[in-house]
Amino acid sequence: MKLSVEGVQKHGALAVLALVTLVGLLAFPGFRTVDNAGTLLVNAAPLGLIALGMTFVILTGGIDLSVGSVFVLGGVVAAWASQYGFVAALVVPLLVGAAVGLVNGVLVARTNMAPFIVTLATLLGARGLMRAVSTEGSTTYLVESQPFKTLGNGDLLGVKWPVWIAAVLFVAGSVVLNRTGFGQAVYAVGGNTDAARLMGVPVAATQIRVYALSGLLAGFAGALNAARLGSGVTVLGIGTELDAIAAVVIGGTLLTGGAGALSGTIAGVLLLGVIQNLINQVGDVPTAYQQVVSGAFLAVVVVAQTSLTRLRSVAPV
Amino acid sequence: MTVMIGRRRSTAAALATIGAFALLVGACGKAEETGGTGTDNAAAAQQTASAGPGGGTCTLQQYGGQKIDLKTAKVGFSQSEKEANPFRTAETKSIQDEAAKLGITNLTVTNADSKFNKQIADVEQMIDQGVQLLVVAPLNSDGWDPVFKKAAAKKIPIITIDRKINAKHCTDFLTFIGSDFYEQGKRAARSMAKALDNKGTVAILLGAPGNNVTTQRTAGFKDEIAKIAPNIKIDFEQTGNFSREEGQKVAEQLLQSKPGISGVYAENDEMALGAVTALKGAGRKAGDVKIVSIDGTRGAVQGIVDGWIYGVVESNPRFGPLAFQTATKFFAGETVNENIIISDREYDQATAKDGLAVAY
Repeated sequence: MKLSVEGVQKHGALAVLALVTLVGLLAFPGFRTVDNAGTLLVNAAPLGLIALGMTFVILTGGIDLSVGSVFVLGGVVAAWASQYGFVAALVVPLLVGAAVGLVNGVLVARTNMAPFIVTLATLLGARGLMRAVSTEGSTTYLVESQPFKTLGNGDLLGVKWPVWIAAVLFVAGSVVLNRTGFGQAVYAVGGNTDAARLMGVPVAATQIRVYALSGLLAGFAGALNAARLGSGVTVLGIGTELDAIAAVVIGGTLLTGGAGALSGTIAGVLLLGVIQNLINQVGDVPTAYQQVVSGAFLAVVVVAQTSLTRLRSVAPV
Repeated sequence: MTVMIGRRRSTAAALATIGAFALLVGACGKAEETGGTGTDNAAAAQQTASAGPGGGTCTLQQYGGQKIDLKTAKVGFSQSEKEANPFRTAETKSIQDEAAKLGITNLTVTNADSKFNKQIADVEQMIDQGVQLLVVAPLNSDGWDPVFKKAAAKKIPIITIDRKINAKHCTDFLTFIGSDFYEQGKRAARSMAKALDNKGTVAILLGAPGNNVTTQRTAGFKDEIAKIAPNIKIDFEQTGNFSREEGQKVAEQLLQSKPGISGVYAENDEMALGAVTALKGAGRKAGDVKIVSIDGTRGAVQGIVDGWIYGVVESNPRFGPLAFQTATKFFAGETVNENIIISDREYDQATAKDGLAVAY
């Protein structure tokens, strides 16, 4: 029963993505080019990584609002650390991201505070930290390490590295979610925390791990983004957490936790990118209407999914 | 147990609502008249002041591009912030109007909505679509590597307007057209010195971090104050991100912590208008605190007329004519300077009323 609900939601997102992409391919010559596909994918990669971590968090019934701040912080420290070489540029933002995530996880798991509040606090804290290391955001560190720049801008077989990395991590994430005890614990905690606890699922440990993972991935996304841009841009990441949450929810993962899949999240991330891309293809749409269009679109997708789910759950299986 | 589950569900519902709101809330505009953006108004047009000190020059040959006819060319314009403040409204309109005037039919306009990654994606996408000339109002001065890489491969000239990009001239970009922001800061300082008779304490509402406008408007102001009015003390500095709401918030905090402040230097008009709202809210009288700002929007110039603002240094957003003139020259094989600096007006009590006609 539950599996079939998931199936509908998962395929719902993919179906909408396919439909929108098809319309784009038919209507806009500028959309159906290899270059445009590359641009779309490489620009979707950072959000993809963030949404990957967010999916784990939301599956446990939690939420992580700090990812946008961790994203920008990760980029700034990566650019700063790049003066000490490739390894430093990669490891420092991962450590910083994981540390913020760990704080989130421990507070959520041990103090029983609402994830919304905990991660709101770290959203502010991480942004503050970013401003502290960049003199109120006015210092932009340039990426010094050429190999690190290549990681952001180079390609393999015509596909940029960030896209490969995101793809590999999504596959790895799916394996973890579907084939490991940790993955099962994630679903169990989100499905019913108390039942999970009674069944002996390590609830606190699972929560700590998903938030740490989310922070880690947000930091990594920031690092990859900095590598691509060639600098630790400080005017980033405001509202990124909402984009990530939107992508996960569009992908059919329930905000209450317990049900959802990473394939849906990929569809959600790509859908956001494709909609934006198509709005640009139309050209000359005033910003205000652009936002109305994207907002309305997201609302329609979510409503459609909810009704699909309801339809399926009343029908005999 | 059920209580716990119930609470979690309602949190989730609340979250969903908040998310939905956040997606739509940005769409709300402000109902304020921005008046004639006046591109037909010859008096309002930008005038070139100088070729900018220390800059190099560039020709089509050096750049390695191809000669094209602008009329039939694909042109892309990337705006950085949504057209919610008069400067951006006037800027976008000026580009669109001038393109229409020149008969350029193939103009694509994108707006990054203050999201830097979106601006990079926007510009990359326009390059993919085959634009032959890019006009960019950059949100941030750094972080343009992927765009340069793509544009250089296709030899697409990039003209940056109003903010600079930190990059190699004639390789990464063609030219920068904009104001001398350092000079604007100095002029604001002179206006402030006059308003305060060279004594008192001043607060600075800083612009958004990470771009040359904020840095130079701050440096120009501070340097000139130190030089001509050493008895004026700069007592408070905080960013209002060039936005009215944030300017108001910061000004409210300022009035709480330093009620005796004698002047406020706002690095753009929006923040100055926010500060005016804060002053009104605190029950202060017009002219109580001297406000000097930069931009020359209609609202701020009206503020001078009403007595709330002391002086405004203009930053002219009508880049259309100059940008396309420069592009035309470039494609005709003429030399283009690295920096094209425009001259800006200034409004004070004496000139504000007449100035309303050219304010945007």
